[in-house]
Amino acid sequence: MSSTRTFDAIVIGGGLNGLAAAGVLARAGQSVCLLERAPHLGGMAAPDASGAPRMAHLLYNLSPTVRRDLGLGTRDWPFETVALPTVALSEDGRHVITQGATVRLADGSAHPDAAAFAALFERLTTYAALLRPLAETAPPGGAAPRLSPDRIKEIWRLGRMGLGLRRLGKPEMRRFLQILLSNAYDLILDELPDGPLAGLLAADAVRGAAAGPRAPGTVFGLLYRMGHGGGASLPRGGMAAVINAFAGAAGRAGAVIETGRGAARILTDQDRVTGVITDTGETLHTARVLSSSGARITAEMTGLAHFDIESTRRLRHIRARGTVAKINLTLDALPAIPGLPDELLAARMVIAPSASYVEDAFNPSKYREMSPNPVIEALLPGQTDPAQRGARGHALSLIVSYAPVDLAGGWDDAARDTLLRTTLKTLTRYAPGLPQLVTGAEVIPPDRIEAETGAPGGHWHHAEMSLDQLLTLRPAIGMGRYAMGPSGLYLCGASAHPGGDLMGLAGRNAALAALRGAP
Amino acid sequence: MRSQSSFDAIIIGAGHNGLTAAAYLARAGRQVLVVEKNDWIGGAAVSRSLHPGWTYSNCSYVCSLLRREIVRDLDLPKYGLQVIPYEGGASFTPDGDYFAYYSDHHALHREMARHSPRDADAYPRYAQMILRQCRFIRPFLLRDAPDPASLRPRDLGEMAHIVRQAHGLGRKELAETLRFWTMSIGDLLDEHFESDLIKAHLAGSGIIGTGLGVYSPGTAYVLLHHYMGDIDGGIGAWGFARGGMGAISNALGAAFAAAGGTVRTGAGVAQILVKEGRVTGVALEDGTEYHAPVVASNMDVKRTFLNHVDRAALPEEFTRAVERFKIRGSSAKLNIALDRLPAFPAAPAHASFLRGDLHVSQSLWELERAYDDWKSGRWSARPYIDMLIPSQIDPTMAPPGSHMMTVFVQYAPYDLAANGQRSGQNWTDTARQALAETVLDQIAIACPDIRERIQHMEVRSPLELETEVGLTEGNIFQGELTFDQLFFNRPVPGYPGYGSPIGGLYLCGSSAHPGGGVMAAPGANAARAILRREWPRAPRKGYAA
Amino acid sequence: MSIATDPKLGLIDGPVHPRLAALNRARGWYGWAGYAAPSMLDSVEFEYFALRNQAALFDISPLHKYRITGPDAARVLNRLVTRDVTRIATGRVGYAVWCDEESMVIDDGTLFHLGPDDWRLCCQEPMLTWLLEAAWGFDADVHDESREMAALALQGPTAFAVLCAAGLDMGHLRPFELAQAQPGLMISRTGFTGDLGYELWTAWGDALPLWDRLWRAGENLGLRAIGYEAVNIARIEAGFMVAGVDFQPAHATERLHRAHTPLELGLGPMVDFTKGHFNGRRALLAAKPRSLLMRLDVEGFKPAQGALIYHARRREAGHVTSGVWSPTAKRNIALAHVQMPIAARRPSDLWAEIYTLEEGKWDRRMARLTPVRSAFFRPPRARATPPGQT
Repeated sequence: MSSTRTFDAIVIGGGLNGLAAAGVLARAGQSVCLLERAPHLGGMAAPDASGAPRMAHLLYNLSPTVRRDLGLGTRDWPFETVALPTVALSEDGRHVITQGATVRLADGSAHPDAAAFAALFERLTTYAALLRPLAETAPPGGAAPRLSPDRIKEIWRLGRMGLGLRRLGKPEMRRFLQILLSNAYDLILDELPDGPLAGLLAADAVRGAAAGPRAPGTVFGLLYRMGHGGGASLPRGGMAAVINAFAGAAGRAGAVIETGRGAARILTDQDRVTGVITDTGETLHTARVLSSSGARITAEMTGLAHFDIESTRRLRHIRARGTVAKINLTLDALPAIPGLPDELLAARMVIAPSASYVEDAFNPSKYREMSPNPVIEALLPGQTDPAQRGARGHALSLIVSYAPVDLAGGWDDAARDTLLRTTLKTLTRYAPGLPQLVTGAEVIPPDRIEAETGAPGGHWHHAEMSLDQLLTLRPAIGMGRYAMGPSGLYLCGASAHPGGDLMGLAGRNAALAALRGAP
Repeated sequence: MRSQSSFDAIIIGAGHNGLTAAAYLARAGRQVLVVEKNDWIGGAAVSRSLHPGWTYSNCSYVCSLLRREIVRDLDLPKYGLQVIPYEGGASFTPDGDYFAYYSDHHALHREMARHSPRDADAYPRYAQMILRQCRFIRPFLLRDAPDPASLRPRDLGEMAHIVRQAHGLGRKELAETLRFWTMSIGDLLDEHFESDLIKAHLAGSGIIGTGLGVYSPGTAYVLLHHYMGDIDGGIGAWGFARGGMGAISNALGAAFAAAGGTVRTGAGVAQILVKEGRVTGVALEDGTEYHAPVVASNMDVKRTFLNHVDRAALPEEFTRAVERFKIRGSSAKLNIALDRLPAFPAAPAHASFLRGDLHVSQSLWELERAYDDWKSGRWSARPYIDMLIPSQIDPTMAPPGSHMMTVFVQYAPYDLAANGQRSGQNWTDTARQALAETVLDQIAIACPDIRERIQHMEVRSPLELETEVGLTEGNIFQGELTFDQLFFNRPVPGYPGYGSPIGGLYLCGSSAHPGGGVMAAPGANAARAILRREWPRAPRKGYAA
Repeated sequence: MSIATDPKLGLIDGPVHPRLAALNRARGWYGWAGYAAPSMLDSVEFEYFALRNQAALFDISPLHKYRITGPDAARVLNRLVTRDVTRIATGRVGYAVWCDEESMVIDDGTLFHLGPDDWRLCCQEPMLTWLLEAAWGFDADVHDESREMAALALQGPTAFAVLCAAGLDMGHLRPFELAQAQPGLMISRTGFTGDLGYELWTAWGDALPLWDRLWRAGENLGLRAIGYEAVNIARIEAGFMVAGVDFQPAHATERLHRAHTPLELGLGPMVDFTKGHFNGRRALLAAKPRSLLMRLDVEGFKPAQGALIYHARRREAGHVTSGVWSPTAKRNIALAHVQMPIAARRPSDLWAEIYTLEEGKWDRRMARLTPVRSAFFRPPRARATPPGQT
């Protein structure tokens, strides 16, 4: 490849956001090259060699807008998802089963708080749906002149949101404006007694976050999860199917996708992007670079001299402290969970017996310690989709909170072993005998997530989803609308609005911003 | 005493806000009665003589937030109010050092540089940012919060005003403002400073009185809430009311009396009387009834509506919202009579900062752990203390040569955990004494001889603050200062205008916008709302207009 | 209740305080970065004329001084300031100004290119944190030497003669050049008066002997110690601006929109848009100047300090930030912010509203203003090399 290649746009990173960006650009007729450092696509979604989940294991939020814009789920790129019920495990065997707004006990009996839960759930999904349009465009607050089409469109969109808000009626509108900025703990416990059901909601509000449910603003985390109905679903064929659909859509539209080649430097001249040098030494020419790496890494690749001092200060202060570890177990037999019917082993199982348990689990992470009693989301993907059972036995995929990236003493073998033992001990309280079934275990603390995927701090969202890092403030002031630094440079990863969670919107929105070329 | 039983308006509770509202109404020509359950006035702004010769500001203890517009409107200096600024403060370390805060810029710069040259340089920019935020927010304190769901011209007008103000900031400053309001004081300080001690010193104002930790989002705003006052235009300056905080209440009481108002002390309200959706008066615990078409309650929103109004008279949704309102006791107080000034071995001779606010917290993490203790129903093993010795400046507080020390303690839960139960009733004498010992151990970091100096000590747990002053859970702000309970959400959504579902029944205390602290803004704003709604033609002056 | 004075409060002594204290018969002190600095030692008038007619010595040690070293030092500085520092040769000094991201001026100062990868920045405002932030991610060290390096300014027509008499012949030094006069003593031909002059840079502890050495040398050359008030007249004559007076440093401004871009301060020639990115460049390209800092000749004899400016006698159009009677140029001079677009038209119909208090009577007069292009006073001796002895 001696001749220099030129593209309309280069996308850095082949996670779902990078693929979405490449797809949208390519479908708009742009020549696009996507560079992925790893030998495979998918980033955090990438499965292991057997097809079982490795990091991410469920979809909550895959955006229908992205599906539509990329033409996913159509005849060309079909993929199918299975909605899973959720089991909030209880040590006394009175497990709580939820699916959407309905809740019951595992023995089939009615849950005493079913009505309160349904009301709360409906309210949250209504509010979340109201907020959804915000996620599907660049956040408000652009520098466009007052009467420009972009500004008018923005006002129109906000006006429509306001109208939607009004349609809720005054009491609900007021309630919305109150709880939007509230903390999950109080919101939940105002409606439900503390227990597995409250714990489940609290855990969902803060999963992936460096926050406990008592932190103001955590209701937003819950609403974010519920933007598309609030259910977890498992893609048939595993995450590979999702990645293939995304990559297929981009590739079919003409995007060049190169794996095993990362970007080393982003080139600029006269404050404009001119190209990318790959880690293999090739120079690719382009006037637009969309980076799904973290904001700070992107700036460093470009050269800090091209950014204002305030910007580099803000980049340094972006909070991205991963607190979640991934543990993949291989079991030689299915675990027995007293009180839980076998068919529910296919469910998403959550260990968060109360909201205060979640808060207590969070506390040690502030001091760079792991939780002695972690919150766990467990999944046996093979129960729903045999393709994801793993190479041998049964894959048990665990998301374990909290395990801070900056663990005191570092994530050495001993620390990983401690985390594994703590996790098994916690699981044993619900599934006695489980440790005896374990034939293999892989512990992936946040530092490994960072090393493998480049996610800053090993954080799911590349940047904490707290109120001070949302919308135009995401990931930092002055780079909230995808463009940053020299013209032609865009952020298209999870650190950009609206954030991560295998949603694809950040990439899609960034691509649209790049197409407009608008600041 | 007149035996009148009908008035234009009755104010329940003679706290500083109740008296402020009462004084504004009386000055507008209304016949106003204030009923107070205690035998003294002042609520949480009182000076009490609990040990002969000493005066304690035994609840609130320093003054800054009191709005100067109100001081001037009600002519409080004429009625004896004198506020004297104090000069700085310090945080002491166990190894015999300290960080001193000076109001003199250059002295402060030199002192900060002793701990970190970098922090010394960073401080002016930090202070500039805080002052900018103060400048932005101060004008809102004496305005009504609009109801965003309402289409009434007044609400729309206020909303438009907010939008204009925000727009005037410019894009970047608006973003900085939104970020500031939503971030934690811990993150904010981490961005500016490197010295643990300096950060701990500056963080205190972000948690005083709240059920939040230094790393809880929204605590930067709480800090602002403590900085948006002023003394004679010096924004963020704090001072002592000469004669203790009761001087404020007494001046307000005198201004009210001079305007023709009546105060009945020892007159606890049993029930707020409501007939056909309108308030008609109050019934006292002794059975006496007073009648008025307007009643304004200085009690917090929970106490007012859950304890003193017939539930059937209120819409269920409103009652539920009041029940959801968070008022969390998180602080305790020690008031100490000292035989003489305790020794501060670390401080140089004649240190001016000893006349300011003194602390012993070493780091943000220590403060965060103090918060974790509170969450679990324990008082902090190493509490944050805000300690002052006002008798160094105010000669009226203690006999010559002797001193009075006020120690604010954060965190102490209202519902203390004991034997697996969390309840305010767990605040037994033993528990209070144990808390006092914990606090004295903390004080001893600064002055090791503190225990020998004590002549008398009053220990006030959240329970005493509740039972004596009437603050639910002993929360000093009559409700948490979190986003969901500020501005138009305060006290409950739909009622930001001091009114209630019951015609003529108003709130005039800190549960209402703009919240707690000895600010008197809720009282003044409530009076303005009452006059506008009930007597649109009454003559109005100053901020009542 | 003993209210004794805290020794940590108040002003502290600079490096030559014993000499200044002995000379300060007017006992006029002011605080400069926390140091006691003389505002006037005996009489402003005589101090001023010593500066313009003989030589004047004043202590500028309270300036903030930062050393920037390392392979990336020039890159860091180029990122910081608006001009291209690679054009400041080793051994030369350059005036520079730097902005925040919104292109508002943070401060101005002088950049000394001491050697390869070795720079010193001198300025009024504390800048350590800002410089460290500018240097973050670069191979450069920032060191605050404010309290290590002292500096004396020797200015006036006989300044060169005084140096020679002190055994420091700097005849070869051109304006804006610096040289190592002897180990531990650097001399630059710089100053804040627009006149022939030098600044002498030495270790804090060596400042007092240096002062004495110059003092002895100046005995027969009319050397006089002077305070800020005399310097202030001279710097207005030279057309130099002062942070906090003629512009509000962006980082020290509480109120919004009070700071100014370099273009608004008339510093267009100090901005190099072609050198690559510098802080605030994008904002500066997009910004429309709101006003312009102008030099104005004021009709009449009453200084216009603080006066409001009107266009066509009616429309308010700006204000004077510095205004004095120039005893040397025999003109009434002022630096003033004038609103755009009026300022761009170099208008003739500008008026200052001057209030005077004379023996108990306030008076208001409107004085016509005439824009002046260059400095009010720029003697050829300031540039002559080798300089004259008188």
